[in-house]
Amino acid sequence: MTRKAPGIVIVGGSIAASTAADTIRLNGYEDDVTVLSDEDRSPYSRVPLSKGILRGTEAPAAAELPALDESIDIRLQARAVGLDTDRKVVQLADGETVPYRRLIVATGSRARRLAPPGLGGETVIRTMHDALELRTRLNRAHSVAVLGGGFLGMEIASSCRAMGLEVTLVDRDVPQRRLLGSWLSRFLYELAREAGVRIVRAPEGAHLAGSNRVEAIDTGSNRIEADVVITAAGDVPNVEWLNAAGPRPALEGAGVGGDVVSAKGLLIDGSCRVAQDVFACGDVTAGASFRGHERSPHWMNAVEQGRAAGLAVLDHATMPLRRAPYYWTDQFGVEIKLSGHAPADATPTIVAGSVEERSMLLQWHVEGRPIAAATVNHRIPLARLRRLAGTADTPAA
Amino acid sequence: MRIEVDRHRCEGFGMCEEVAPDLYALDDDGNLQVHEGDLAPGVEARAASGARVCPVAALKLVST
Repeated sequence: MTRKAPGIVIVGGSIAASTAADTIRLNGYEDDVTVLSDEDRSPYSRVPLSKGILRGTEAPAAAELPALDESIDIRLQARAVGLDTDRKVVQLADGETVPYRRLIVATGSRARRLAPPGLGGETVIRTMHDALELRTRLNRAHSVAVLGGGFLGMEIASSCRAMGLEVTLVDRDVPQRRLLGSWLSRFLYELAREAGVRIVRAPEGAHLAGSNRVEAIDTGSNRIEADVVITAAGDVPNVEWLNAAGPRPALEGAGVGGDVVSAKGLLIDGSCRVAQDVFACGDVTAGASFRGHERSPHWMNAVEQGRAAGLAVLDHATMPLRRAPYYWTDQFGVEIKLSGHAPADATPTIVAGSVEERSMLLQWHVEGRPIAAATVNHRIPLARLRRLAGTADTPAA
Repeated sequence: MRIEVDRHRCEGFGMCEEVAPDLYALDDDGNLQVHEGDLAPGVEARAASGARVCPVAALKLVST
């Protein structure tokens, strides 16, 4: 029996991995493509987890991504624990080694945990499993405390209010100010308060407290106890496995000039290259920007990087990765989509709609130039949003 | 095969259009218009790619 030459191996099982696999097949690669996912279910979207799935208005099956081509080998519960770039193999938790010709790392990120050692029972939402388990607990609860006021924390707060729970949310700042700027975050702050969320500012920070399980959030001046305490404090890239196996792999990245495995994420160049025969995409990565390498853990970024990594792994030319983000949130009865970076303190122009209607098209300018735009319960084509944000690609003639 | 849109789920993100603008497009009101009827065999794979990037899984390819 002749052994087949190794093909392309993708480590990860979410939208970045899925998009990369799809791109590879779509571009005519006919050898083996293997997807190694540590989850026990086929690729799904995390977007509904804090919304329809948590509220129970949506079945888990509804979040499933359309199946990949059947020629792609998707292996579930296959957790990568090590990489050997000399032998070109991925090591799995069960001891198996999977050889690759080229590798795409799409291991994503995990929820950041804040409980100190010895304090058990911390609750986060990152996976379908997390969301379903939390839903069961919420069905028996009366009160919830959420630590962290990013999109996830506010979406959880919104869902919990919709379920009739008493909700307290704790953050250092006005929730979402960093993501949406002062003006829009203040608008949502008011909606959250009208919806009955108690928002506690903790400028000095807050920590989880309890005797041996998490029971409360402690802000120093205030102890907020609740039936369920949820941490929603961002995410951490899953890079540790790259360094776990024996000698540190020689991941000397193209254009990075040094160690590519950083606490910021796995460093990639503008075409999702990490090192010789190693590529990466999605939440695990930190892409090059004028501010140095930074993460952009959003859906659109995972899709664009998944596509770029799928092309680059075949040595096809890639489009330059977009620097301007596009992201969204859905909370307290409003859908928000934003392109660009909303400046912290500038007031946007209301291009259409009004605050009273809770439907708006917003545009931010800095020094007379548009730099970000957002819709609030206001649908327009994405290309128009990008143009208003000044983030469109070079316009076609 | 043809494209099926779950109108209750679609939120007009426009990701599908970026993948296959000849098959998916948001109109001026941000409502999704899709290629009607049978897909030519040559475009089925791209239609599937467009469906796959929907963040709310609102798109499906179904047999005609």
